[in-house]
Amino acid sequence: MSRFIYWTSVVLCSGFLILPLLMVWPLAFNPSSFLTYPMEGFTFDWFVKVMTEPGWTRPMWNSLKVACGVTVLSLIIGGLAAMGVMMTRRGTQIVLSALFVSPLVVPSVVVAVAFAYAFGRVGLGGGYFSLVLAHSIVATPLVFLSIITSLRGLDPNLDLAGASMGASRRYRFFTITLPLTAPGFAAGAVFAFITSFDEVVLALFLADPGSMTLPIALFAGLRDRLEPTIVVVAVLLSLVSMLFLMLLSYLQKRNAAPRS
Amino acid sequence: MTSLEIKQIDKHYGAVQALHDVSLSIKKGEFVTLLGPSGSGKTTLLKILAGFEPVTSGTVTMDGRDITALSPEKRNFGLVFQGYALFPHMSVYDNIAYPLRVRRQSKSQIDERVRSLLELVQLRPYANRRPQELSGGQQQRVALARALVFKPDVLLLDEPMSALDKKLRHDLQEELRDIHKTLGTTFINVTHDQEEAMHMSDRIAIMDHGRIQQYDTAHTLYRHPASRFVAEFVGKSNVFKGEIRGSGPDATFHSANFDMPVGDVNETSSTMMIRPEDAEITTAPPLDGRVTLPAKVVSSTYSGDRALYTLTLKDGGPFIAYGAARSGVHPDGAEIFVSFAAKDTIALA
Repeated sequence: MSRFIYWTSVVLCSGFLILPLLMVWPLAFNPSSFLTYPMEGFTFDWFVKVMTEPGWTRPMWNSLKVACGVTVLSLIIGGLAAMGVMMTRRGTQIVLSALFVSPLVVPSVVVAVAFAYAFGRVGLGGGYFSLVLAHSIVATPLVFLSIITSLRGLDPNLDLAGASMGASRRYRFFTITLPLTAPGFAAGAVFAFITSFDEVVLALFLADPGSMTLPIALFAGLRDRLEPTIVVVAVLLSLVSMLFLMLLSYLQKRNAAPRS
Repeated sequence: MTSLEIKQIDKHYGAVQALHDVSLSIKKGEFVTLLGPSGSGKTTLLKILAGFEPVTSGTVTMDGRDITALSPEKRNFGLVFQGYALFPHMSVYDNIAYPLRVRRQSKSQIDERVRSLLELVQLRPYANRRPQELSGGQQQRVALARALVFKPDVLLLDEPMSALDKKLRHDLQEELRDIHKTLGTTFINVTHDQEEAMHMSDRIAIMDHGRIQQYDTAHTLYRHPASRFVAEFVGKSNVFKGEIRGSGPDATFHSANFDMPVGDVNETSSTMMIRPEDAEITTAPPLDGRVTLPAKVVSSTYSGDRALYTLTLKDGGPFIAYGAARSGVHPDGAEIFVSFAAKDTIALA
């Protein structure tokens, strides 16, 4: 009986989540420029259009650049924060962890308005750097959590052993800590990348026309040009997200593997 | 020739005082054991020697140099951890080579040293294995090799054999003693196992509640314990409280169970102790001037070469004594006599 309930719920939930996507995706291959069924044929023309039209390629490129910048910045901040917190006492650890995770709790709109105002005051504008900074604030908590979980699974005596043998803190990090917690860092990097690539609220509030990211272009396209290119971009975004999530799942399994 | 001088160390963890005025002098090449029950402060002292914990007050001096505040990286001390702390992502070879690579030695130098240490701990065929693939005893030997490969001034061992079974412990104790003799490095071992301490050490520092109770050779600790704690911690003992009556050559030690002339052995303590191997069990009183107590056998532990008897005396108090086991063992409930000479008793402070 429980197996029946299990499989029924799996099918229903997956259906609920995937069905809307499955209904829309085929339209990316529809030669007609209207988003209607039945399909008139099968073509990759819209894919070609998206890959060549600057109206799409520029936002794609911007998203990629920002996501890479965010990954690097949040890895550094989140990684250093995780290692620092590990060195404090239990009580301090709880307080600091809560602080570093807090950006996740604040609504993105609030963060967006705050940054738009603050960056405007400082004269930072809506370019590459402001997007990277803003996205990093919301990506760092995930990186922090991923890395600190990894660090917690590490035997503290390993680092002490390294120290007793004369290894400096830097040498110990690269020869002992990093190799053993690499999945945590990698998972953190993937989290940061996906978060930035998919992020729309902060981007909408902050980006100037030249730094428009892919989600913004998609959003604008929904209003102005309701044609299959929208669906193509949606399909591409979904594929990228799915690939990264699979990568994440693989890395998290490796992260949880016993190490002593 | 003193190698390591520990002077008046106090250590506080917040309101708790872990070490009280601890002082020790360790000679170069000595094998010293810090022996004590859990919470005695022995591991805290070791951490201070390793540089992992700061002192609240006091100094640690090495060959005249003050190293109290020196970071662990700069101390050149080898460390064998309780859980071995071997690097799981490296082979046995790379684990042992690690401290040499840190010191940027040449590949051939490293290879020569690692191979000679592998030979010393008899693990040559395991060079390319991962630590997880080895048994506990083998892992301990890798940890030992790794801690000795860079020729440290001192080797610190934190209960390295606590996770091993008895037979393995015995074998490794001998190996450790041999390695110590071969290399001549100063060894400082921490353990709660008094047998281990007695088997391996030149001198033993007995610790209790953060203080050094006595620091001496195993023989002196055993035959001349400074306190009741030491007497009972090192080896088995029978302790009697009483009072000295009279003085001079007619003085006697009077206790609930017996009176014993102490005049000619010059003892003035109100607590005295007799080791179980110094007491003899007979079926009839020997009447030869020794103190003789009637007792009843409660139980016995047969070890092949002899038996250890747990007895009760007339007043219900316990007594343990060894007896020869060649012709059998006294049965439980048997009424026997246990005797010991006054000169074999040990006065406790």
